[in-house]
Amino acid sequence: MKSPCILLVEDNELGRDMLSRRLDRAGFDVVTAADGEQALQIMRERQPALVLMDMSLPVMDGWTACRSARADPRMRQIPIIALTAHAMANNRQSALAAGCDDFATKPVDFPQLLAKIRTYIPT
Amino acid sequence: MEHEAQESTLPVPPGPGTDAATVYPWREALLRAIGELLDTEIPAGLPKLAHEDFTSLHRAAEDMAGMLADTAAHSRHDVRNQLSALRGYGEMLAEQLPASGAETLDAPLQRLLLATRSAEDPASLDVESGGGITIVGEPGFILAVDDRLENRELVARYLSRCGHSVVTAASGEEALVILGQADVDVVLLDLLMPGMDGHEVLQRIKEHPDWHATPVIVISGHQDMQGIIRCIEAGADDYLFKPFNPVLLQARIKAGIERKRWHDREEQYRQQLERNEQFIRATFGRYLSDEIVTDILERPEGLDLGGKLREVTILMSDIRGFTTLCEQLEPTEVVRVLNRYLGAMTDIILSYQGTIDEFIGDAILAVFGAPQHREDDADRAVQCALAMQAAHEELNRQNAQEGFPALHTGIALNTGQVIAGNIGSERRSKYGFVGHAMNVTARIEDVTRGDDVVIADATLQKLRGHYRIDDSREIRAPGMDGPLHIHRVLGDLP
Repeated sequence: MKSPCILLVEDNELGRDMLSRRLDRAGFDVVTAADGEQALQIMRERQPALVLMDMSLPVMDGWTACRSARADPRMRQIPIIALTAHAMANNRQSALAAGCDDFATKPVDFPQLLAKIRTYIPT
Repeated sequence: MEHEAQESTLPVPPGPGTDAATVYPWREALLRAIGELLDTEIPAGLPKLAHEDFTSLHRAAEDMAGMLADTAAHSRHDVRNQLSALRGYGEMLAEQLPASGAETLDAPLQRLLLATRSAEDPASLDVESGGGITIVGEPGFILAVDDRLENRELVARYLSRCGHSVVTAASGEEALVILGQADVDVVLLDLLMPGMDGHEVLQRIKEHPDWHATPVIVISGHQDMQGIIRCIEAGADDYLFKPFNPVLLQARIKAGIERKRWHDREEQYRQQLERNEQFIRATFGRYLSDEIVTDILERPEGLDLGGKLREVTILMSDIRGFTTLCEQLEPTEVVRVLNRYLGAMTDIILSYQGTIDEFIGDAILAVFGAPQHREDDADRAVQCALAMQAAHEELNRQNAQEGFPALHTGIALNTGQVIAGNIGSERRSKYGFVGHAMNVTARIEDVTRGDDVVIADATLQKLRGHYRIDDSREIRAPGMDGPLHIHRVLGDLP
């Protein structure tokens, strides 16, 4: 069976490498993007099973990318989990309002994130 | 659409209250853990995935250390990202380790994970909200043991806000596991817990060879003075009653950390002294008896090995007819006979606290009275010479058994002033002796027959014991101003 594809959007190179490797080991096919624009392009072309989106991104931030994805019928159904720094309050509401399906704080608690992903991509 | 102000991605500007330790109170604890990890060698035969993780972790740790070394050049955002990646790689490696059997890596890795988790704790990042009285002290690594979650959280939040790294344990058993993994500075211990209670944890800590110096602050629920007294008797360093005043807690933690640091420094100093002592023993032990070496080590001012005029008794010995012996035996046999002889003589000289100056072929030159003067130097020298002669019986029995000829040694003693010190060139020097008295001894040795002990009059004058003497006579030797009065010693008077 083909592994489900996850798009990881993260501008920090080290964080991207680390998280994509962990997801890869957890059995997912991982593609990565470093900014909101790239993310939208990959979502349109690859139709990933799920998107993990860091909200503070260069070029186009995660909030804008999320809203654009929700406005586009080709991407509307792709689940997006927002990743935000936990120091910011009310991020959950903001993320949901921007069209994200769920929300996880950084630094990421990997087992918890994995559990969240599995609710959208049942194995 | 409005969302909250983003965290600043600008570097933390320099200024009051923005030095590294204030901005990142966990910095020191994390750097310690990173240093330990970087010091750990990559275990051989690590499986591919674990090896990959180790390499990434290593790089991330190095970069993290670099960022913390120059906090003004990096934003909090960058530091947090780095921290998150560091922990991620660490967790990945930890998942791979059980399958790879690399135990050496386990403890430093666990400590690094504890340090990153503690650094990522929101309470520890949020230092600006401190407020109230803060006691400034060195940040430490605190283990808080309490079975109640809310108490653990309260203490953890409070102490990390003060700059400490805090790790918590919900039971006595868990506390012991953490103590085994991390270098804890202070243990904050709740006495009343189900299962293993605080009293038992305290006892285990104080009995453990590596943990017994870790300060323990016990916390009692009610004003149970009897229980506290029991704890202090069992080795607890301090105590608090619940509910405790947070400033008092800070003060006691600070005192505990200072105590631990003091102990650590003392321990380091002790180890350094031990290394020095081993070095001195290895350097001088071949020439001086153990007792003299110990004496040198115990003198606070140390021993001055520079040139000094000293009165000593000099012992010189020679095997009679050694040249003939060399012609009769194979070279390997000569060495064998000689080594057995010199070995036995060395043991005797050292047992009489003599200092062996040198071996010249079969000749032995030893000195009594340097580097350290004793009242009975001359007596010990004479007794030593007699013991050396007495030892020939057993030596010659062994020689006869192996078909070697018997050895006969002449021993001469003289007492006088010599210069003792480290003599030689910069490249090669040793503790040695020069002076007229040395030459006089050699002249006496020239006229000494096998099996005899002959002493100069100068030595006889210094003897405090009584010995049987005969064959007293005068000799004239080249280079000597006047006649030299010498005596043969037959043994102790009964």
